[in-house]
Amino acid sequence: MLGDEGCEGVLAWDLARGGVRALAAKAVILATGGSGRVYHGSTNAHACTADGMAMALRAGLPLEDLEFVQFHPTTLFPSGLLVTEAVRGEGGYLLNSSGARFMRHYAPEAMELASRDVVSRGEQTEIDEGRSVEGSLLLDMRHFGREKMLERFHGTRDLALTYAGIDPLERPIPVRPGAHYHMGGVATNVDGRTEIANVFAAGEVACVSLHGANRLGGNSLMETIVFGRRAGRAAAEEALGKSGGAELGPSARSGGEREIVKLLERREGERPRSIRDELGASMHENFGVFREEGKMRRQLELLEDLRERYQQVLVEDKGEVWNSDLTQALELGFQLDLAVCMVSAGLERRESRGAHSRPEDYPERDDQNFLKHSLVRWSNDWLDLSWKPVTITRWQPRRRAY
Amino acid sequence: MRRIAYYKGCLAGLSARELDSSTRALAPKLGLELVELENVTCCGAGDIQTADPDYALHLNARILSEAERAGLDRILTVCNVCTLNLRQAARQLSDDELRARVNENLERSGARPYSGGVQVTHLLWLIARGEGLEQLKEVAVKKLDGLRVAPFYGCQLLRPSKLMGFEDPDRPSSLEAVIEACGAEPVDYPAKTLCCGFPILLAREKTSLAELARPLEQALEAGAEAMVTSCPLCHLSLDAWQKSVERTRGKKLGLPIFHLSQMVALAAGLEPAQLELSRHVVSMGPVLARLESPLGGER
Amino acid sequence: MQIRLQVERSDPASGETRLQLYELELRREATLLDCLEQIKDELDGTLAFRRSCREGICGSCAVRIDGRTALACRTPVAELVAGGRLPTIAPIGNLPVVRDLVVEMEPMWQKMRAVEPFLRPTSEPSGDGRETVVPPARLEAVRKEALCINCGACVSECDAMSVSPEFLGPHALAKAWRFVGDPREEETRPRLKGLSGEHGIWECTRCYLCNERCPKGVDPRDAIAKLGAEAFAVGLVRDRGARHAKWFVTSARTTGWLRESELVVKTLGIAVSVTKIPLALRLFRRGKAPLPLPRHKASELQPARELRRIVAGQDRRGAQGIVQGERVLESIELVRAPERPAPEAEDF
Repeated sequence: MLGDEGCEGVLAWDLARGGVRALAAKAVILATGGSGRVYHGSTNAHACTADGMAMALRAGLPLEDLEFVQFHPTTLFPSGLLVTEAVRGEGGYLLNSSGARFMRHYAPEAMELASRDVVSRGEQTEIDEGRSVEGSLLLDMRHFGREKMLERFHGTRDLALTYAGIDPLERPIPVRPGAHYHMGGVATNVDGRTEIANVFAAGEVACVSLHGANRLGGNSLMETIVFGRRAGRAAAEEALGKSGGAELGPSARSGGEREIVKLLERREGERPRSIRDELGASMHENFGVFREEGKMRRQLELLEDLRERYQQVLVEDKGEVWNSDLTQALELGFQLDLAVCMVSAGLERRESRGAHSRPEDYPERDDQNFLKHSLVRWSNDWLDLSWKPVTITRWQPRRRAY
Repeated sequence: MRRIAYYKGCLAGLSARELDSSTRALAPKLGLELVELENVTCCGAGDIQTADPDYALHLNARILSEAERAGLDRILTVCNVCTLNLRQAARQLSDDELRARVNENLERSGARPYSGGVQVTHLLWLIARGEGLEQLKEVAVKKLDGLRVAPFYGCQLLRPSKLMGFEDPDRPSSLEAVIEACGAEPVDYPAKTLCCGFPILLAREKTSLAELARPLEQALEAGAEAMVTSCPLCHLSLDAWQKSVERTRGKKLGLPIFHLSQMVALAAGLEPAQLELSRHVVSMGPVLARLESPLGGER
Repeated sequence: MQIRLQVERSDPASGETRLQLYELELRREATLLDCLEQIKDELDGTLAFRRSCREGICGSCAVRIDGRTALACRTPVAELVAGGRLPTIAPIGNLPVVRDLVVEMEPMWQKMRAVEPFLRPTSEPSGDGRETVVPPARLEAVRKEALCINCGACVSECDAMSVSPEFLGPHALAKAWRFVGDPREEETRPRLKGLSGEHGIWECTRCYLCNERCPKGVDPRDAIAKLGAEAFAVGLVRDRGARHAKWFVTSARTTGWLRESELVVKTLGIAVSVTKIPLALRLFRRGKAPLPLPRHKASELQPARELRRIVAGQDRRGAQGIVQGERVLESIELVRAPERPAPEAEDF
């Protein structure tokens, strides 16, 4: 909720008791995580529905580098669950339908140990060119032997048995690239501060930018610890510097309440499931590991259509207490909004860089024209795209080769 | 005759002497020659496992090694708690380093070291399945006339199942199988796998008695004429503290409690006097009357 | 695969509960959570349940399945419906039900807060600004307890808590051990003192249901035993439960077997024991209350006495006596399956 002096607080839906609450605050920190659920195949929890990013967007804040999504190469099929990189680190093989270690063609030195985006691209190529096993590649650990498997990969074996019904001691497991981490997010500085003085963001919801176009493994954890702390401190200082807590009047809630009432009162419509499924599948198809102009344009049309259908989304649960049907419908709205911004930014970045790969139309990195961060801002249902220079200090950009 | 090491534990040696006498009387009928272990102590009962766990491990190692001294690789127990403690110790001692350390201490103390591989089996497991059950059916010549008997498993014979593992800890059926083989009718009720409260009977009486009330009340409600348990600690609670439950709950109970060995021995045609049924606090009279057996002179 | 299951529903307004039957079609490897999601998406949007990670790490989706608590996301549904069974899914126990499968978790958090689940080092961190280094071997004592995902399965099953709702319980106590046993903790004794109250360590009934159900292998009962062992190691032995346990030790090293006749007095003290005289008489009449003399002694007692002395002088005192055996016990279970595995090759 924005007022004359910045953010005055947030509107929240009380899941436990029902009802819209207006929570006054001197400082607000968004720590709502990522957006993986925008994709059908994602390592992310159900909760990762881009809520904070969409809220920031609707409040007029710019979102940075939304086109950069990290696809993790070893997500288990069909659940999308993450199979740890350590499997490859300890010598696991990636095989295609001919049983060949295809990474030889994409990263002959590093092989399976190449970085996530390289391996994902290798896998996606195998899939696109018809050398996959029903859309998946095979992660082979049979040569680990029983002792090593039980000692070091007990958890992975458990995962494979429980969620794919396969014993990795006996058979390789099906994996494919899945949406794992969003490098983009709410634009902040190194103290987690956004454009609005008392609104902060930290963690995956934010874009400092810490990871640029591609995140290294393990750095997301570092991000939460370091920038969570920094944003927390800065927000505390900000709050301490403010006097008096203005109460939010009942009118503060009315906008939010109207939206909720509309959703709850609707008696007929489309259940969120079908919209969600089409969103997830189409994002993989048209904005997955590989992007291309025609597909991205098509995706924007599809999203427009989905957003229109969303206007008639049906919430079956009309109750107040613990209405997760309602909250899940709201989350779908967030995801749809974010998806539009992601694809729009992707369309405008006419190069390949890090996780944003356009091998058909713009296969090369173009530092001359695109060494810059994208910014998307939503105002009056109009998407405004702009750019921001990259801060270069000690390390000069160099060609990336394996 | 199959020779098997016999570890009766503390209670069967003293206040639950009737468990020991009925087990000994029963054993030959089951083709068992019980070789009572000497030079053994209490298994710890879960109490030494808390107060001085390293000591408890050593005491159990000693019990296991005494079976080896007798040239036997299997110990028969008649108590849930002893079974759990010995099995847990046996597992822990399968670690070479730990066993080496314990053995060094055992030898220093004048005890015998344990080389590993002794198995621990509760009497119930021996007779509830396969050959043992078949033999039981043959041996149970004096069928118990459809007596309605409620099984009480308690906790530590079933859980943790990774240590015990004889049957599904939530849907056990061993006691029922034995009850049926004895010609009695098993009575089902929810609390048969819950706690009798014995471990905290003295330390937290109120909580303990609240737990104890459940199997007693539920079994009676389900029409049980008697209860059978595989553990003398549970038996002590269920039998000797039954009147305390009556007092706190304000309800009369009067449910006679069998030790497993006693019920089986009765079915095998042994005399009640041999089974020292009169030692129970809650009278076995009604059950024996029901079965039309003389009580062996008392009451 | 055709699936039929029943869910215990409840209406928060009226408090009414009912069983609702659902029938659906799902792939063979589906989990119970997949079923619940499908039901909500396609059959009944009003079904309320918690979930997030769907891989057994967030602890949100604990439910009771035919009375047994488990994580819905870790429960393959094929086994639940095998042989035509109709499973009943219900909210977890020992916590107030909010609606359907959602329970009020606050009482559980309250107990957790009560044990202060954070380190309380009293000394200043080292001046050079570097992190405190803990050798992995020293964290072994709390390795299992640190696996806790706060799912509440242990709380749901706790037998003692079901009759004594104020019992701190397996979750809070395991959490407490994670800090008491941490080598960086410096307030061990005060913590142990606080945990030795009426509803603390010594109220645990040792039913092992928590160990049995924990989806992560935390073994809360063992953590409670570790707390007890450490309480002994620092001399906090006033509680009746501690005195009870102590008597077993004394018995073992004096007569080998438990000195039953004196157990009540040693545990409760003379004053309280007087109130137990009617019970004692009842037992005595049956011969169940043995006289303290002659002593019921085991043979060859010397090693039992010596052992006590020997182990007391070694570095496995207190909780270490339990920790030393944990790795090998863990290695028994390779993959945790919700249905019991068939008995091992061991011939019973």
